[in-house]
Amino acid sequence: MPMPPPIAAVEEAASPSLSSGVQLRGVVKAYGSTQVVHGVDLDIADKEFVVFVGPSGCGKSTLLRMIAGLEDITGGQIRIDGRVVNELDPSDRDVAMVFQDYALYPHMTVFENMAFSLRYRGVAKAEIRRRVDEAARILDIESLVARMPRQLSGGQRQRVAMGRAIVRDPRVFLFDEPLSNLDAKLRVAMRTEIKRLRERVAITTIYVTHDQVEAMTLADRIVILNHGRIEQVGTPEEVYDTPATVFVASFIGAPPMNLLPARQEDGTLAIAGGAAMPRIGAAEGRALLAGIRPEHLVPAGTPGTLPLIDARATLVEPLGSDTLVSFEVAGTPAIARLPPRSVRRAGEMVPLAVAADNIHVFDQQTGQRI
Amino acid sequence: MVVICVLMLIPFYWVLKTSLTGENIYAYPPAIIPVDPHLFNYVDVWYMIPFPRYLLNSVIVTLMAVCGNLLFNTAAGYALTRDFPAKRWVVLLLLSCMLIPFQATIIPAYLITSWLGVLNTHLGIALPMLSTIICIFIFKASFEAVPRSLIDAARIDGLSEWRVMVRIMLPLSKPAIATNVILNSIWSWNAFMWPLIITRSPEMQTLPLGLARFLSVMENTTGALYAFVVLVLVPGLAIFLMAQKEFIQGLTSGATKG
Repeated sequence: MPMPPPIAAVEEAASPSLSSGVQLRGVVKAYGSTQVVHGVDLDIADKEFVVFVGPSGCGKSTLLRMIAGLEDITGGQIRIDGRVVNELDPSDRDVAMVFQDYALYPHMTVFENMAFSLRYRGVAKAEIRRRVDEAARILDIESLVARMPRQLSGGQRQRVAMGRAIVRDPRVFLFDEPLSNLDAKLRVAMRTEIKRLRERVAITTIYVTHDQVEAMTLADRIVILNHGRIEQVGTPEEVYDTPATVFVASFIGAPPMNLLPARQEDGTLAIAGGAAMPRIGAAEGRALLAGIRPEHLVPAGTPGTLPLIDARATLVEPLGSDTLVSFEVAGTPAIARLPPRSVRRAGEMVPLAVAADNIHVFDQQTGQRI
Repeated sequence: MVVICVLMLIPFYWVLKTSLTGENIYAYPPAIIPVDPHLFNYVDVWYMIPFPRYLLNSVIVTLMAVCGNLLFNTAAGYALTRDFPAKRWVVLLLLSCMLIPFQATIIPAYLITSWLGVLNTHLGIALPMLSTIICIFIFKASFEAVPRSLIDAARIDGLSEWRVMVRIMLPLSKPAIATNVILNSIWSWNAFMWPLIITRSPEMQTLPLGLARFLSVMENTTGALYAFVVLVLVPGLAIFLMAQKEFIQGLTSGATKG
């Protein structure tokens, strides 16, 4: 589905200059004979907010640590603002990093934590004071600067960690799952905080998370990684509306996209256990997967849709705003997000329909979008 | 617990009591409460033998040993937390060295000390005690308990390896430092055999050697002998009492997560 460019920053990101931002060229990481990052190519524009997202072990944190200089690069090239940084120490790359566990020095006050790197860079005392005060004001932690980290809550610690990064005024911010240690409520609050911070401090940012909601809400562009390879790069809308692979389709979105076995037969898309949908473009008889988002399954009879299946509900989960209904299509589990109170209990028959435009078709063998 | 503590303290009390009275230790029934206590035995010890000189030598040697241990053990302990070629073999070598009794190393140690020209000097006495393997591993365990992200943050902040150790690792390893200070103070304070071998002049002798010398010349002065023992014990006890909390933490660090 064609998508309009959402924001100006993304348009700028589409043609990044080699003299600014971050460029990865064929970046490889191997531990002994085990390769964990396989030739990643990526251009991140100046002041762009890019989120690396993927399941545990996909190589997103390793990639971030390679950009930071905390991991050696086995192959390829990393450029920051046009300068190759492969052999540079972390401190010479002009990057600041926010860690999952905050990494605040426990034996120093909040002020000392924030001022620590500036002292080692020979910044004048008055300038250090000015920068720390400014960062504390931005993050609303002015009253905490004399405290020790152990006297702070998780959210306050995370703010201090961000403050420590801000005072550096670096070329690139790196966030390594910064909200993972917070409880659900605080995570939402801090996500908003980061979004606001992003608007006030315009610096190239690379943010790693396994939480797709964080990725969708924060990113200018999302980089979806799997097994050390980039599956797709795009704006949140692009990766949601036109997932490039089965992996992206199933990873982005909650509940995930339904993937139903199908075949191209007589110019139609024959979904196993369901109705035939008009579809062209694939070879006859080819094994396919029809991807339908739960919210695109609607009660039969909705204008602009075609009947798909009369499903028997196996599980009904009322969420208040809508109801999740689980069912099976020829043995394949599927889920629909229906209006509230449209289905009351398991066992009810639910006639479902879908608009032809909302069906994503993937090659079952390669997993690629068709 | 209280009963065990009292039982443990009885020998200390007995030594202190005898040093203050000079009574016959074989007397029966023994007097529980000191009778006519006085400090003359301490005065005798101070003036009859060169006790201040022994004390000064012990203090100098102990300070050298403690400083040497803090310097070398922290560096070695930190190195063992980093990856380097043949690290496993270095660890194995250090552990296997712990199996060799000190007595078996006395002759090579003497020859090395002689070759360095520091026989009969404070440095010569302190030399074999400048680093102890068990304390290297205490520092290693302590450094390994420091979260990896703190080291990463320090590296991004611009600290060299040496500064990471001094500014981040050491301030977070106070229990390990206290353990090193206590153990090495006690070991070097009580060292007898090596100082006996290495010293030639009475002016270089330490307190344990002085005690032996005292025993050989003062046979019938039980009170003075016990006063000497008290004076030898007090500094070690004082250091232990000052740092016992950190000492216990240091010995158990790395035993539990978090």
